[in-house]
Formats: sequence, structure tokens, C-alpha cells
Amino acid sequence: MNQWLDDRLHISRLNDKFLRKAFPVHHSFFLGEITLFSLIVLILTGILLALSYEPSNSLVVNTFDPGTVTKPNLVPAAYHSALKINAMPFGDMLRRVHHWMANIMVAAAVIHMMRIYFTGAFKKPREINWWIGMLLLIFSALTAVTGYILPYDNYAYNTVKVVYAITGSIPWVGEWVAQAAFAGKFPGAGIIPRIYGYHIMLLPGILLALTGAHMLLMIKQKHTQPQYAKRVAYKKIVGVPFMTQQTPIMLVLALLLTGLVMLFAAFIPVHPVEFFGPPSTTPINNIKPDWYLLWVFGALAIIPSFEWHLFGGLIGAEFVGALVLPGIVMALMFAVPMLDRTTEHQYYAENPTNHPVRLAAGVAFFAMMIVLSVAGYKPELISSGLLTTGNANTILWILTLLVPAVSYFAVIGIVRGIRALREADERESLAHAHADD
Amino acid sequence: MTRYKKQDPEITRRKFINVAMGTTAAVGTVSLVSALGTANPVFRLTPDKAPPVKGDVLVHASESKEGQIIKVSDLSDQLVRAWPMGKDKDGNNVIRKGEPNNILALYRFPKGQLVEPTKLDATVNGEIVAYSDICTHAGCSVADSDQGDGMKCPCHSGQYDPKRGCKVIGGPPPRPLAQLPIKLEGDQLVVADFFASMPYPFLSETEWEKFKKEVEEQLA
Repeated sequence: MNQWLDDRLHISRLNDKFLRKAFPVHHSFFLGEITLFSLIVLILTGILLALSYEPSNSLVVNTFDPGTVTKPNLVPAAYHSALKINAMPFGDMLRRVHHWMANIMVAAAVIHMMRIYFTGAFKKPREINWWIGMLLLIFSALTAVTGYILPYDNYAYNTVKVVYAITGSIPWVGEWVAQAAFAGKFPGAGIIPRIYGYHIMLLPGILLALTGAHMLLMIKQKHTQPQYAKRVAYKKIVGVPFMTQQTPIMLVLALLLTGLVMLFAAFIPVHPVEFFGPPSTTPINNIKPDWYLLWVFGALAIIPSFEWHLFGGLIGAEFVGALVLPGIVMALMFAVPMLDRTTEHQYYAENPTNHPVRLAAGVAFFAMMIVLSVAGYKPELISSGLLTTGNANTILWILTLLVPAVSYFAVIGIVRGIRALREADERESLAHAHADD
Repeated sequence: MTRYKKQDPEITRRKFINVAMGTTAAVGTVSLVSALGTANPVFRLTPDKAPPVKGDVLVHASESKEGQIIKVSDLSDQLVRAWPMGKDKDGNNVIRKGEPNNILALYRFPKGQLVEPTKLDATVNGEIVAYSDICTHAGCSVADSDQGDGMKCPCHSGQYDPKRGCKVIGGPPPRPLAQLPIKLEGDQLVVADFFASMPYPFLSETEWEKFKKEVEEQLA
């Protein structure tokens, strides 16, 4: 069989080129794999969901609660089909697994990125893969946002309203862009088909293409090697081959992850559409985006109101808070490999404590993200009595700047301490070595 | 060999291909731009999407009472949401909820509590006041604050004071909520005019003025 295929397709070359790829043995190298497996499970559950979902926001009679002949209970078809999916055997579980897996995917991607950043794996020659990874992160977030609009319950309705408003806040072209992106003035008759198209065709297509490029570059450039590889065999690729040693590990990991997420989904419901009900005029109290966009939400909550008029365009707090600020953050993250000046090729993962400034800057960055996310809970902080309406913005702004600064200098201090201890240890062992002579 | 060097009278092969490819790319891109235009459907101003206009009757917007005409006794210092209800060409009642930004907030305060900058001559007796219920920041529907101090937007915590013309008292909104002039006719609350200032989602007065003209022409 192999011989037969090999005669026709030269699969042994494929084997040499791809299937013998060496995978370093270290638990932190599984984060990217977890992201990939989540994507695969998302595609599979997504296909199953798409089979029963009805992408339309035209009103249909709610068959679960039809109302009366004179006053039928009309709900959007998309919402109705979400109810029907929930009523299907295993339907609610499918929705929950899909939703939880999306959270896991973004989380794994973020932690994967932290590993790359803190160990310096983004350095030459792997800058391109860092940038592709950034695009993957951005498009994952976009896919997730379009995904939670699809059930078209009141929560989704309010979400898409804010997304539409954010798009519309772009100076000069905002209104046109928002209408083109969301099929007309909100809520256009075609808004759900449009978002459905984005969520199941356009964005997954982009994600798959980028993932393919990410993998190919990784195989071409090889993983950064963990530190132990330096001691085992200097400048040699150390690790287990993809086929067959790494494959069972990956299979076990993928199945374990899916199993865990299923267990999670079985016990923790996610986005109960019946609870939120169909789109209505009643706002949802303390509506929040998913956790990975909470920092943008927090920034919007504490940004003061202002409007600049510039060449007939309007630059408002919303544009600055929801597009300019995340744009700056993304640009900073994109720029990370360019801030590194080394011209040598990076072979080995670095010990983060050997690069205190990079480590401290990264920690400060995440500290700021966390403080801004906490600022997203401003209404709760006020109603719990911790802050008042008057001082909330000031205190949250001070924390937004102070906490990152403190964590920066704390990290630098701790790293100095670690280094001093290490040097003291070395001196001591050196002294003992001399004493032995 | 220089004798045989060919003097190319026109352009080199490389240049020709570059120009041809560039032209193709440019034409292709432009055609894509035109395709983008089709992504944006035409907006038609139908009676259910028109803003509240003179003569519209205010009706309840909450699910349980939707479409019932609002009576003065229904109102209090707690927010009541309303839709404007007008007539279409055939004279049938149309609740103008095709445009979700038409949702209104109604309050009735004891006399004397409504103060400037509320436009008092646009209220009923200085007691009943109507505002656009759409936050001027991101277009969410504004609710009563759980702290009992005016109105709060659940999206990004914008705060308004309905007793003082819904001016912004906290958070990111750039403008107060637009006040809607109303009057009492019989026991119905009736819209007296367009919004007194530009409502969400308008960004400039000129756009709002233009839209008002368009609506007047359409309904005339």
C-alpha cells in the first residue's frame, strides 16, 4: 500500500519533509497545540450547529409559545432556531461545547503568545510567525464576536448594536462602513445572513489559511529549543518526531481537552438564550463582552466624553476608546519583534529572568489589561460601595497607570534579587571548589 | 557584435508585462470596490422607520402592554418606555418601531422638579417629559439607575439626569438625550414636534436638519 502510493505520489518525501518534524518535549509547547485542537473541535461542532441554524432575522411564529391567532408571538427566525437547537437531543450541549471551546481557544492562544514573548521565541528568524500569530488572535476575536451575535437573543441584539455603533464611530466613513458591513441601517433586514456569512465562511477561511501558514513556517523554521536541548546536544534539533511519537501525545491531548470541555459544558451552561429572550427594547443590566474584550469595554467605561470636529469628521470618545486604543495596543504587540536588535538567529528559548526589561514590560502590559478589565466592572464596583460615581473614573485611571508601573519596577527588583542569589550561590560553590583543591 | 544590438523602438518585454499586470490589478481592484457598494443596501424611509413626528400618539413599548395608549396615570418618576404611533398612507396605525432608535423614555415628576435645561414649554404642565431613550454614546437603551440618581446606560455606564434636560452627569456620552416636545390631547400624549435637538445616531446638526426635511417631504 505504502509502496503503491509512494510510486505514484512520492509520499516518502512528504514523510521526510513533514512527518519527521521534531517536537521539543516541554509542557509549555502544548499551548499552541491546544489552540489548534480547539479550532478543530470548533469547526466540527460549528458544522453540526450550522445544519440546524436558520440564518435570518425575519419574524416567525414561536412554535414553543405561539400566542394567539390575533396576536401571534413573533420572534426572529435565528432566535427561534436557537431555541429549536436547544430542544434537540444533545443540541444544547453542542452550543455549550462550541461556546466554551471558543473561550478555551482564545485563552490558549493568549497564553501561547505569552510563552513566545517571555522566552524570546519571536526573535529573528521567527518575526513573520509572530505577526501571523497576531492576525490569528485578532481574527479569532472577530470570529468569536460574530459568533455570539448569531443566536440573536436580546444579549446578541444589544451586542451587535454596540458593534454597529463602534463601526459607525469611524470619522468620515463610519456610517457607510457600518451599513456596508451590517447590511444597511441597523437593524437591517439582512443583518443575520450577513453575520452568518462572516462567521461560517469568511472568518474561518481566513483563520484556516493563517493557521496553515503558521504551521508551515513553524515546520520550516523549527521550534525554538528548550534550554535542556543546549546541554543535551548543542546546536542540534532535539525532540520527538511528529510521526509516530508525537502523534499519540497529540491525540491524547486533543481527546482529553475535548473531554474536559464537554464535562465543563455539561455542568456550566453558557449563554442561555431563553433567559435573555428575543431582541427587545428592555436593555440588559450590566451587559459585558467576553473576557478577552473586557479591557476595551473598561477603557470605554472610564474614558471621559469629548468630541473633536476635524475636516467635517467627528472624532468621539467611542472611536478613540474602541478603535484607536485597541489599535495602539495591537500596533505595540505587532512591533515587539522589531524592538529586538539582535541579528543572530535565535535557537534556544531564553530564561525570562535573563531579560528583565522585556519580562517587566510584559508583566506591566498584562497588569494594565487586567486593571482595564476590572474597570469594565465599574457599575458593579459603584453599586457594591467600593467606589462612588464621583471618584470611580479618577481612581480607575490612577490604577490603570499605577499598577503597571508598580509591577514593572517590582519585576525588575525581583529579577535583581534572583540574580544576586544566583551569583552568591555561584561564588559559594566556587569557593567550595577551591577548598577541595 | 554591437552592430547587431537591437535598438528596441518601443518598450521592453519586462516593462510591457509590468504595465499590463498593473493595469489588470488596478481594474480588478476598482471592480471589487464597486462590488463592495452592493454590500450596502438602499435605505427606504417607510412609516415604521420614520422618527416621531407631530401628531404621533405615544404607546407603551414594554412587551406585555405593547401598543396600548399611554395614560397620564401610567407615568411616574420611574421610566416608562414608549413608541410613537403614527399613520401610514392608508390611515392605519403604525407603531414606528422599525427604527429601534425611536424608543422614548417618559417621566412624570411632581411640579417644580423639572428644571432648566429641560425645555419646559415642550413638557406637559412642567410635569411630564419625553426623551429619546437611546444613549448618545453607543446607542444602547438607557434605564433607570439602580442608585436612584437619574438614568444609567447599561452598556458603558453613561449617566443622565432626566430632571435637568437629561444632561450627562457621568460616563462617556457626548450629548444629553434629545428631548421630544409633547402635549396632552384628551387623555393621549401626543408628539408636538421633532426632537428638540439631534437624537442618536445623528452626528451633525446639518444631517439632522436634512433628515427632518426628507421626513416632512415624505409624509406630506
